[in-house]
Amino acid sequence: MNRQQITLSVNGRDHEVWIVPSDTVLDVLHDELGLADVRYGCGEGVCGTCTVLLDGEPVNGCLALAVQAAGHQVTTMRGLMGPGEALHPLQECFLRRGASQCGFCTPGMVLTSLDLVRRAITAGRARPTREEIRYALVGNLCRCTGYTKILDAIEEYADLAAQEKAAP
Amino acid sequence: MVAPAFQYVAAASYDEAVRLLAAGGDEAKILAGGQSLMPMLNLRLAHPELLIDINPADQRPPSVTGDAAGGLLRLPALTRHRVLLEHDLVRRGCPLLADAVRHVGNVRVRNRGTIGGSLAHADHTSEIGCCALATGAHVVARGPDGDRTVPVSELFAGYWTTTLASAEIITDVLIPVARPRQGWSFHEMVRRTSDFAIVAVAVLVDLAERTGELAAVRIALAGVGDRVVLADPSLNPASTADADLDAAAARIAERLEPSDDVHASGEYRRRLARVLTARALRQACARAAGAGS
Amino acid sequence: MTQLTEPRSAYRVVGTSPAHHDFVDKVKGSLHYAADWQLPGMLHGRVVRSPMPSARITGIDVTAARALPGVVAVLTAADVPSNQIVELASGGLAELQVTMPVLAEDRVRYMGEPVALVAAVTQQIAHEAAELVAVDYIELPGVFDVASARADGAPRVHEVGNTLVSWQIQCGDVAGALAAADVVVEGEYRSQHVEHAYLEPEAGVGWLENGVLTLRVSTQVIEHAAMIAHILGLPQSKVRVIAAYMGGGFGGKEDMTVEPFLALLVWHTRRPVRMIWDRQESLVASTKRHPFIMRYRTGADLDGTITAQQVEILGDAGAYPNLSPRVLFAAAACACGPYRVPNASITSTAVFTNNVPSSAFRGFGAMQVVLGYEAQLDLLAERLGLSRTELRERNFLAKGDLLPTGERLDTCVEVAETMHRAIGMLGEPPRPSGPGKLTGRGIGCNRHPYGRTIWFRDRASAWLSLQADGTLLIRSGVTDLGAGQAASLCQIAAEVLGAPLDDISIYIGDSALNPPAGGTFATRQLYMSGNAVLHAARELRERMAPVAADLLGWPADDLEFADGRVRAAGPAHRDAARGEVSITLAELAAACGKRAISTAHLSTWRAESGSFDPRTGQGDTFPDYTYGTHAADVEVDVETGQVTVLRYAACHDVGRAINPMRVQGQIQGGAMQGLGYALTEDMAIEDGYVQAALFANYLIPNAQDFPDVLVDIVESGEGKGPLGARGIGEPPIGNVAATIASAIHDAIGVRPDRLPMTPERVLALLDERDRSPRPGRASGSDRSPHPAHGSGVPT
Repeated sequence: MNRQQITLSVNGRDHEVWIVPSDTVLDVLHDELGLADVRYGCGEGVCGTCTVLLDGEPVNGCLALAVQAAGHQVTTMRGLMGPGEALHPLQECFLRRGASQCGFCTPGMVLTSLDLVRRAITAGRARPTREEIRYALVGNLCRCTGYTKILDAIEEYADLAAQEKAAP
Repeated sequence: MVAPAFQYVAAASYDEAVRLLAAGGDEAKILAGGQSLMPMLNLRLAHPELLIDINPADQRPPSVTGDAAGGLLRLPALTRHRVLLEHDLVRRGCPLLADAVRHVGNVRVRNRGTIGGSLAHADHTSEIGCCALATGAHVVARGPDGDRTVPVSELFAGYWTTTLASAEIITDVLIPVARPRQGWSFHEMVRRTSDFAIVAVAVLVDLAERTGELAAVRIALAGVGDRVVLADPSLNPASTADADLDAAAARIAERLEPSDDVHASGEYRRRLARVLTARALRQACARAAGAGS
Repeated sequence: MTQLTEPRSAYRVVGTSPAHHDFVDKVKGSLHYAADWQLPGMLHGRVVRSPMPSARITGIDVTAARALPGVVAVLTAADVPSNQIVELASGGLAELQVTMPVLAEDRVRYMGEPVALVAAVTQQIAHEAAELVAVDYIELPGVFDVASARADGAPRVHEVGNTLVSWQIQCGDVAGALAAADVVVEGEYRSQHVEHAYLEPEAGVGWLENGVLTLRVSTQVIEHAAMIAHILGLPQSKVRVIAAYMGGGFGGKEDMTVEPFLALLVWHTRRPVRMIWDRQESLVASTKRHPFIMRYRTGADLDGTITAQQVEILGDAGAYPNLSPRVLFAAAACACGPYRVPNASITSTAVFTNNVPSSAFRGFGAMQVVLGYEAQLDLLAERLGLSRTELRERNFLAKGDLLPTGERLDTCVEVAETMHRAIGMLGEPPRPSGPGKLTGRGIGCNRHPYGRTIWFRDRASAWLSLQADGTLLIRSGVTDLGAGQAASLCQIAAEVLGAPLDDISIYIGDSALNPPAGGTFATRQLYMSGNAVLHAARELRERMAPVAADLLGWPADDLEFADGRVRAAGPAHRDAARGEVSITLAELAAACGKRAISTAHLSTWRAESGSFDPRTGQGDTFPDYTYGTHAADVEVDVETGQVTVLRYAACHDVGRAINPMRVQGQIQGGAMQGLGYALTEDMAIEDGYVQAALFANYLIPNAQDFPDVLVDIVESGEGKGPLGARGIGEPPIGNVAATIASAIHDAIGVRPDRLPMTPERVLALLDERDRSPRPGRASGSDRSPHPAHGSGVPT
């Protein structure tokens, strides 16, 4: 075991953690830093419950080594929230639309769809269509909702985001 | 759930990675995107002692050299799948690949997975491997004795096995740029969208400049054996007529001996190969005809 | 006593769709699931499992494992004080008594059976130690399907024999009716092993607290605390089970999962222990849905009236009983579907094999049989030249009809309404998208029970307390698997007592601290705990009403509890001179306190009871049923066999929708699970080995596979749940496979009879059709030659 100390920047805060090389980003975020919104679901990269943003891009937390994340920005869903646990507008849409039943897939869904909407808007494209949202979420499995309300929530947010961009 | 313990080193260059790989022997593995290697480690199916992270070794973007007649699309090995999907040079230079990558993994996998990693992993259902074969691509492999260029048609040796030497690393993938009068098509059948392909077919068709007749055809298939395969050119269609295309598809499929697995029987895969090859040939020919100068 | 019931038209909270309680925490990502819990000194536990399906254990050597630095305990069967779980799931009504060990002693009966336990200071070391436990196996012959298991001389999974239980339900004279029938249709239908595939794998943390063995686990049933105490040889007062909010359950967390292993490791090491199952471990070794073989013979008159149903159901129970007796019983009780059948003979048998044990999974036997009875209806329609809808309407049950068990239906049956609405939602049938494509439309109706079998004398308790500041506390032993089990209780309490939802706190699923509510299964919690909370709230209100009446100077019968206040209401209140007079709930609580009237109340709600005679096959089964219909349009690619679902619609009579958005969510989610079951999911167990052992290979629907499930709800109001509600958790999964099979049948003219309906299997049906084309459809059929038109499913 060769433990080493690294600094991870998570949700805008630096954390010094002791790791061994085989520790994944998921291991460190969940077990060392106690972040409950990054979860083990499969270890294969197919389910999406361990989704985090690495320098703004969704990646599999269970397939990224913690040592690789040192010096990069890691964002979890809770990192999107405002002071006093103020919900991000996308989270509000999820809540309003019943897009969360057991809630286990929710952080992955939120991060992945936020990335999709942000990139579309930044690129000056119209907001993503429902089909494009479906395609983007193919790696985020949900066993409870049948996806419909999740898609509804994301479409509602995409409209809000597009409007804001149009009339800042 | 938890990978067996290993040492980790980040290689600042391909040369350093080759040195480390040569020194580590069988116990060292290259970590590129990690989307194929890490699941194996998490499932404890592999027990390397050393992981050599080559992500810091290469920041180059895709580039094109040469002119339209003989242009070459150079994709550094660490080019992420997402870049293959979105980069202008890839979409124009190799639309077949840009199209096929839509079927690879999911958003997270495409953000990290690399083209070099995919080819080195040599999965027999690989969409990227299929396109690399169909386009007549080459890989540049660097080893302790320097670089050599290997046609992808000589790269795959069996299930998850390449002809690369143990201390060789893919540094570049070279793909002939799409030419005028060239048509392409990618078809795959999956049980569930974005899964590993049951059967995938990539076709590249060149029509003769003046006559518009069939000049060259390359048909690559995945999911039909222990490696991605290029159909024997002697089985290729004689013309772009539907009957010839269908006949070629039937001949090619007949020669295959796919195995059974949890998703499909070998017999079904053979039937799919015929259907998808026929469809891909028709679409590629139609595109070639429509892509006239 | 005055009956302070809520006027139906004036529901304020019930019938709306607020997002509250645990749903807020889920969206915030602040909910702590079972694995999100850490204690100082916590160890990591791991189960060592059998790599083969049938073997004798001749030795276990744990020395290497124990010697690994960082390993704190390695346990085997010898370390289990009482290594026997005997579950008589039907209450011993008819099944064999079979023991299941916690850790296998001298024999393993399925691949993945637990053999040893490891606890270590890190997960890494726990994995390594597990790999070092050396078990000597001698392979034994095994049986891997029900036919082999029932054959003479078959290897015995258990000494007492391979037939765990065989239920029968009989009424009338089936042989005679079949002989006299104008037409008899036969079919054999097969379903597969499927996995719950909740996104949250089995997990939990255990520790000792003040001498009490405490487990905080992802579980549907905290009542297992008694079994855990028994295994450890502890008094029940020394075991406490806390149910964390689950990341999905679906019946897969209804039997014990991590509990006995955590308990043993905690008890042995005296340290906290966490255990999270690998996904792959869960796929291979956790309980599955029973694969069924269903053989139907249906007799009918020329006008389509069903006269007889003879049904044989064989369920693969796997290696141990678990809940198999109840699953096969539910199958028997629902084998005839929502149709009147005057002469019926149903046998339903659970058979041991050396496959992974089958147990509870959303639908619980009553869902597999829908494929059978709906196929028979469609085949009958085809034979008789009647439309599918017409045939069904001729036979639908109605309130007052008898079921084959001799029970009389005492609530309304709105299945016909659900059928018309489901079909209506589909709109015009689509045309094929190109050459080589065929489209078809299908329907599937079902009758699904809610509530436990009546002979269990089910009950649930709930405790409510109006606090001094006017906020409300609810304590219920209910467990929450993500379907709003807890939140719905808050909505009901809010409706009755007028406390705002934000002022209500609910504490659930703690065997030491909460009144028992029974487990969350059998679609029983809204029915049971919903009623318990409803009655507790009403009884509490009744007790406090005279105090409020006194303060307000207004009759107790005419008070309104709403928005955190109690105000004068009723017809006389329209007298404007009264003005707006009200008190806050806090003021009411204070006033009650002064008068020594308690504002806390415990209520136990008891379901109706009855009995069933397994010998005659007559008696009471379930308290009530939920009826529904799904409809779908599909397109089949005739060259590849791929089936694309173009449109999908579902309609159920839910009695009363406590929270309409959540009701829709249940229907959409249940239907999606059903689509996976119908088309893509299969554990593919061969010779006892699971082939689909990776999440990448076990194909649950993703966001792009299927269209949105269109939903409509009928609210007939005659359910036995609170305020007329019927259960909706399980019913929507039942219709799907039958609906898709019906649509494929319509598209290609051949009925799929085996699940999942993979492209390969559909292609084989097309080959069969091409080899022996049917000589046209039944005479008089209103089917047009164009496959897109449908076989009498109205557009």
